[in-house]
Amino acid sequence: MAPCASCFLLAVMLSANCKVITASDQMCTEKEANKTYNCENLGLTEVPDTLPNTTEFLEFGFNVLPTIENTTFTRLIDLIFLDLTRCQINWIHEDTFQYQHQLDTIVLTGNPLIFMAETALNGPTSLKHLFLVQTGISNLEFIPVYNLEKLESLYLGSNHISSITFPENFPTQNLKVLDFQNNAISYLSSEDVNGLEKATNLSLNFNGNDIRGIEPGAFHSKRFQSLKFGGTLNLSVILNGLQNSTTQSLWLGTFDDTEDQDLTSAMLEGLCEVSVESINLQKHHFFDISSTTFRCFTQLQELDLTATHLKELPSGIEGMNTLKKLVLNVNNFDQLCQINAASFPSLTDLSIKGNVRTLDLGVGCLEKLENLQKLDLSHNDITASNCCNLQLKNLPHLQYLNLSYNEPLGLQSQAFKECPRLERLDLAFTHLQVKAPQSPFQNLHLLQVLNLSHCLPDTSNQHLLAGLVDLRHLNLQGNRFPDGSISKTNLLQPLSSLQILILSNCDLLSIDKQAFQSLGKMSHVDLSYNSLTDNSIDAFSHLQGLYLNLAANSIHTVPLHLLPSLSQQSTINLSHNPLDCTCSNIYFITWYKENLQKFEGLEETMCANPPSLRGVKLYDVKLSCGITAVGIFFLIIFLLFVAILLIFSVKFLLRWKYQHI
Amino acid sequence: MEGVTAVFLVFWTLIFPSSSGKAWPTHTVCRDGNLEVFYQSCDPLQDFGFSIDQCSKHLKSNLNIRFGIILREDIKELFLDIALFTKGSSILNFSYPVCEEDLPKFSFCGRRKGEQIYYAGPINNLGLEIPEGEYQVLLELYNKNRATVACANATVVCS
Repeated sequence: MAPCASCFLLAVMLSANCKVITASDQMCTEKEANKTYNCENLGLTEVPDTLPNTTEFLEFGFNVLPTIENTTFTRLIDLIFLDLTRCQINWIHEDTFQYQHQLDTIVLTGNPLIFMAETALNGPTSLKHLFLVQTGISNLEFIPVYNLEKLESLYLGSNHISSITFPENFPTQNLKVLDFQNNAISYLSSEDVNGLEKATNLSLNFNGNDIRGIEPGAFHSKRFQSLKFGGTLNLSVILNGLQNSTTQSLWLGTFDDTEDQDLTSAMLEGLCEVSVESINLQKHHFFDISSTTFRCFTQLQELDLTATHLKELPSGIEGMNTLKKLVLNVNNFDQLCQINAASFPSLTDLSIKGNVRTLDLGVGCLEKLENLQKLDLSHNDITASNCCNLQLKNLPHLQYLNLSYNEPLGLQSQAFKECPRLERLDLAFTHLQVKAPQSPFQNLHLLQVLNLSHCLPDTSNQHLLAGLVDLRHLNLQGNRFPDGSISKTNLLQPLSSLQILILSNCDLLSIDKQAFQSLGKMSHVDLSYNSLTDNSIDAFSHLQGLYLNLAANSIHTVPLHLLPSLSQQSTINLSHNPLDCTCSNIYFITWYKENLQKFEGLEETMCANPPSLRGVKLYDVKLSCGITAVGIFFLIIFLLFVAILLIFSVKFLLRWKYQHI
Repeated sequence: MEGVTAVFLVFWTLIFPSSSGKAWPTHTVCRDGNLEVFYQSCDPLQDFGFSIDQCSKHLKSNLNIRFGIILREDIKELFLDIALFTKGSSILNFSYPVCEEDLPKFSFCGRRKGEQIYYAGPINNLGLEIPEGEYQVLLELYNKNRATVACANATVVCS
């Protein structure tokens, strides 16, 4: 009898405990009410009852659903996106998604699929994206062909696929993306490629496949949006195989962990017979690079040679007259002139960032690039005592210049005279040495965006930003101001078009009431992470509809007379301030609770004082402030006393006066 | 009654590890004469496997490693943060991009949430002589949304 009783007890305890565990664990996160839910990593074995029928986007990865069938998702008829990543799914039975007519994406990544029924994917009227990554597929016949007519992308990476031959009835007409990354494809035959003939503007990804051969003519007169053969050992096989094909972009880069053959001019010969607009050769080594290496690059619009160990580009490259975009990031140039820019007269976009060595800008190295519009020279350890007119000589059409993350630059007045059409200038994290009263940006009448964050310029120089008549967006994050304050006369005064101003992390203690008087167009001001108090709020009284970020400052109270200044703004962030929740701040707290829709970061807007309310959210605070009964009693006594005193003194005065007549 | 207590104890030991915040076991990366390296996953969701091919206080450049993990996030962009401490004080912090949109350094860049990854290959490190002492290293791999991909608390003991 005893063992039986203990068994019973155990059973009771087990069931009780299980219930508690499941109840506490089964909490999907609501991302958008009644629409978007995340139920990942909960060990669920079914769709929880708590999930509303109206759910449209469901992330259900990392749960346990060995079998999915027509009863699994019955209730969720509005599903549009269903992520079943790594749910240990073995079986997808008939009509699993029969009620999900709107379903457009199914993610089955990382499931050990044994079998998918013929009608497994029936139901959705326009299934567009199907992820079958790492599901153990070795043969494309595994994928049920019914109801795939609308399919736009099919992801088949990390499987055991060795042939891309699709079954004859496989609908490919709407396919735009076909991803075969990390499979075992070593040969592409004409038959394989012909199977994709109905697809237009197709992007095909063969990264991580060791392609050893392509049947001659397989790609003859075929068109693609993009082709990727990343990490392929022998580039000439690919280029010869692509003869007479047309491709918008061709990715032939390699990786740190892939064995690499040196690229020779002969290996690139095949490119003469391929029509390509954009090509990427990242991380390859060029063997004896010379002007003839690029003999077959004449039709190219974009060339990416990131991390190709280049010390220089040969001079006199012919036929690259039409190249528009050149990427030379992470190479080993010593001087900018070593790129021999004269070979690329049509260039509009040049990027040389993250150079391995310190880059010397030289003098006029880019002067032949008259059409250049975008130039990225960030992360290069560039230093110059007098920048940038000699260095950027003759760039009349330059619109975007990035010199961020470099060593100190000395700027003098009109430092960017050679690029008067600049619209965006990024100097973040590059120290600027400007002697007062120089105005380095003086002639930049078209400049709209200027990033000077962490540049540590001399902010007492009133003329620093002179001439920027059209500047809309200024970032001054992480800079210091004299005495930690922005005074009535300051360097922002010339910026009458300014809309966005970022002054976060500037150690500011105060802002003068009239500091922003000349900036009438501002719509976004970020003053977070300073030490400002309520005194600075007055600086915005002339502005309306602002986004005003005052998070992480030292604001304790907001007096009554400042409320109008705040109430005319559209969004305010006061989170992480040591706010006072005593009766001395009652006007503000009452007003705050009436205007919650104006505020951002409500959950982090908390009281710091009194200690009993520390950490309480401001919208939860209930204060009753007013004069107490005792107070009223004493006030009345006091008034009576004063009145009696007055009467007596008048009486006394009159009597005294009459006695002396 | 004894039976009930015994059952209860068994039951308790069964339930306890899953109901409390469990810590992953500490693994040994290598143990060689005067260098020992241990790590423990600090991702509450999962453990991962890691080893280095050579273990010596004269750390060679371009080491080969082996790494196995299930991805819980896409890694089109992947960054590594390393923080090095000794005796509770910080010596070194740095951040290194492993995968970027415009520079996927490794062949595994661009793989997707849910994929199982096994990487055996070089990591492009610098050569280094490790001074004697005990070091704590916090390594974190995360993607562009700052979502954790892997997290490790490592201890290096060099004598």
